[in-house]
Amino acid sequence: MGLKRLFLPGLVLLTLPVLAQPSINNPGPSAPGEWAVYPGSYNSQRHSPLKQVTPANAHLLQVRWVYHVSGSRELEMTPVVKDGVMYIAQYNRVDAIDARSGNVIWRYQRPPASTAAYRGTSVYDNKVFVATTDAHLVALDARSGGVVWDVAVDGGRRLSGMSPYIAKDKLIVGVLDQPDGYIQAYDPKTGKHLWTWHAIPRPEDPEYKSWSGNTKEGGGAIWMSGSFDPEQNAIIWGTGQPNPPYSNEVREGDNLYSDSIVAIDVDTGKLKWHFQTTPHDQHDWDATSGSQVLVDTNYQGQKRKLLMHADRNGFFYLLDRTNGKFLRGNSFIDDMNWATGLSPEGRPILAGDGAKPSIKGTLTCPSTAGATNWPSATYSPVTGWLYFHAVEGCGVNFRSSVTPGAGTSYIESPEESHRWVSHIRAMDPMTGKRMWDVTEIRSNHYGPGLLSTASGLLFAPGQYGQAAMLDARTGKALWHFNTGDFITASPITYMLDGRQYFAIASGTNIFTFGLPDTATAKGGQP
Amino acid sequence: MKRFAVALLLATALPAAMPALAQQPASGPQAVAQGKALYDQHCTACHGSNGTAGERAPAIVSAAISMRGARSDAQLMAIVKNGIAGTAMPAWGNRLSDGDIADIGAFIHSLRGTALDSPLPGDPAHGEAVFWGKGGCGACHAISGRGSVVGPDLTNIAAERKSTAISDALTKAEHRVYGDGGVHLPAPPPMDNETVHVMTKSGQAIDGVMRNQDAWSLQFMGLDGKLYSFARADLRSVVIKAGGVMPTDYDKRLSADEFRDLMAFLTRQGTKIAASPSGGAE
Repeated sequence: MGLKRLFLPGLVLLTLPVLAQPSINNPGPSAPGEWAVYPGSYNSQRHSPLKQVTPANAHLLQVRWVYHVSGSRELEMTPVVKDGVMYIAQYNRVDAIDARSGNVIWRYQRPPASTAAYRGTSVYDNKVFVATTDAHLVALDARSGGVVWDVAVDGGRRLSGMSPYIAKDKLIVGVLDQPDGYIQAYDPKTGKHLWTWHAIPRPEDPEYKSWSGNTKEGGGAIWMSGSFDPEQNAIIWGTGQPNPPYSNEVREGDNLYSDSIVAIDVDTGKLKWHFQTTPHDQHDWDATSGSQVLVDTNYQGQKRKLLMHADRNGFFYLLDRTNGKFLRGNSFIDDMNWATGLSPEGRPILAGDGAKPSIKGTLTCPSTAGATNWPSATYSPVTGWLYFHAVEGCGVNFRSSVTPGAGTSYIESPEESHRWVSHIRAMDPMTGKRMWDVTEIRSNHYGPGLLSTASGLLFAPGQYGQAAMLDARTGKALWHFNTGDFITASPITYMLDGRQYFAIASGTNIFTFGLPDTATAKGGQP
Repeated sequence: MKRFAVALLLATALPAAMPALAQQPASGPQAVAQGKALYDQHCTACHGSNGTAGERAPAIVSAAISMRGARSDAQLMAIVKNGIAGTAMPAWGNRLSDGDIADIGAFIHSLRGTALDSPLPGDPAHGEAVFWGKGGCGACHAISGRGSVVGPDLTNIAAERKSTAISDALTKAEHRVYGDGGVHLPAPPPMDNETVHVMTKSGQAIDGVMRNQDAWSLQFMGLDGKLYSFARADLRSVVIKAGGVMPTDYDKRLSADEFRDLMAFLTRQGTKIAASPSGGAE
């Protein structure tokens, strides 16, 4: 008997029309009710059409099952669900478990066991994909865990912990920044390397001149996956900081394509446009945070193809995603001291030297940990608002007197007034207006990602383990459950056997939540 | 003694051919300074300033987490030298000399040390009298079962904190003790023992010192020595004041001799746990 036996046909009919033409609202490899790629769908809105759990019944949510990922540590991973099976990936390892019971179906472990940060996998063409610590990329049969292909990474470097991503018929992976980050595409059927895009320009690239000085240590780590726009035939991705991270005088210029949002043709690997959030960064503010959220909606009275991005540097950016042009932006935090605003082109206007790191330490707001970071943002077409994790407070950035390029670090500011405090914020992306704000008690930074649902819910777990469901319109807490461990991963939701599940990693476990049988009436609406 | 002599002879005669013995950190202030320079150059980008965790890697000076803090100096240095398979930790033995690694070991040892390693000078017996007498410390703190449970128990304080951290707590209004994860805090940060005043819906007023809280509940130790836990929904008001009840002017309240002897007493409160013969916690 197949695992798909109880898949709900009604749901397919409900959401099928969006598949008719190329659109960002195409869910990609996810069938309705599934979550088969890291952000759930191509547009990275992390907005689910599922409506079984509502603001009216969310108080009935209960734990459905818990799966312990033995040997893991502080999971930053987002599980994916396809054909009734949940896939949990780490470097060298994938656990396939029954998404309705939490029972193990198969487990793949290539030695050695690794606890390095790894963010998940994608399911496509009956395969799941995982990077290895010995610089291979492996495709496993989604049904058995058997190795379908196993290739050495082109260039020989280990892939980053970014979740392998499926865009159209390409498998997209990334490499970290030492010396330079790059994005690669492989054929998911065979493992054949198709193209590599380098985040640090080669001499023939016009932006090569955006670096000067006597060192070029590169940067531009690719450590988070992005989005796919089928109409532009482009992946839209964030890149990491330039190196050395804090000693910027050895690399004059804007240091492209570090800290940038880039659109890359998925077939050729050629750059279509770029937008740099933090030119000449000196605080390690990777442009990888909060997803690259694609939205088609009206802006100033016109239907526009938009990109929304809340950045680690504290600014929110609204871009035209057909060309990367800046439309508007705003600071989304109250505590900012490095810049006073954005120019009409979206370039930060520095305050003085932009809080340059120093030997005695420079107060920097937001901190290097970021005004927001990798935990996912979500856009709800129901409210028209963007929701994200925001961190107020400051850091102190140090540099060493030993070597200009090395010996730098940061700490949380010891001043009580600049202590790190996390918030969940709802913002109107068209105006920057803060619609509501929830302070997370006892939090400090990073924290979990968010997702929204068509029924008006915001799944917003707390950093210290309180899984919580909020009313997306008001921020009011409707339900909560203490998982007992740190949460620093992003959540998913899926539908199986007539029950809507919410799932998130907490500590070394995967928790799932759903309504009790009495409330789901075996597939019926509550 | 004979074994030692043989080993010494071998080490002198055949340094290059020696198998990798468990390496010990160098000692002395110069080695610590050299080690800090090397650490700042090679280690902070991942492990952060002073080993409190950085952008890419965990804290290495934590005392509580077995994966990290329970490693002996020799084990830590073996990791520095050989790296850790399956992680981003490289084998520094390929890039640095054994002498450099011994200096880094000296610096890490200095970071990991606590007050108990080198208790401050003074008269601990007199300090104990100050603790229970003029200092009034026992009104909030306990040592070995004597005293109050309102504030942190100090029975093992010298094995958990550096002398400077103890001194800061007594003399500085703003001082911060980082959790095990340092900047990255994989576990909840320590509470700051804020004072709390609550009014229940039934009209009862209670004062205490915070233990924990979330958006739905709070737990605190009442000044009456009873542990309270309330759902916020059951409280009419909650006022939490940062800073706590701990005075931070003991260097002025006490004479110089009294303060020195109190520090001599406090920096001896604790039990030094020897590394187990196998050296690890795994």
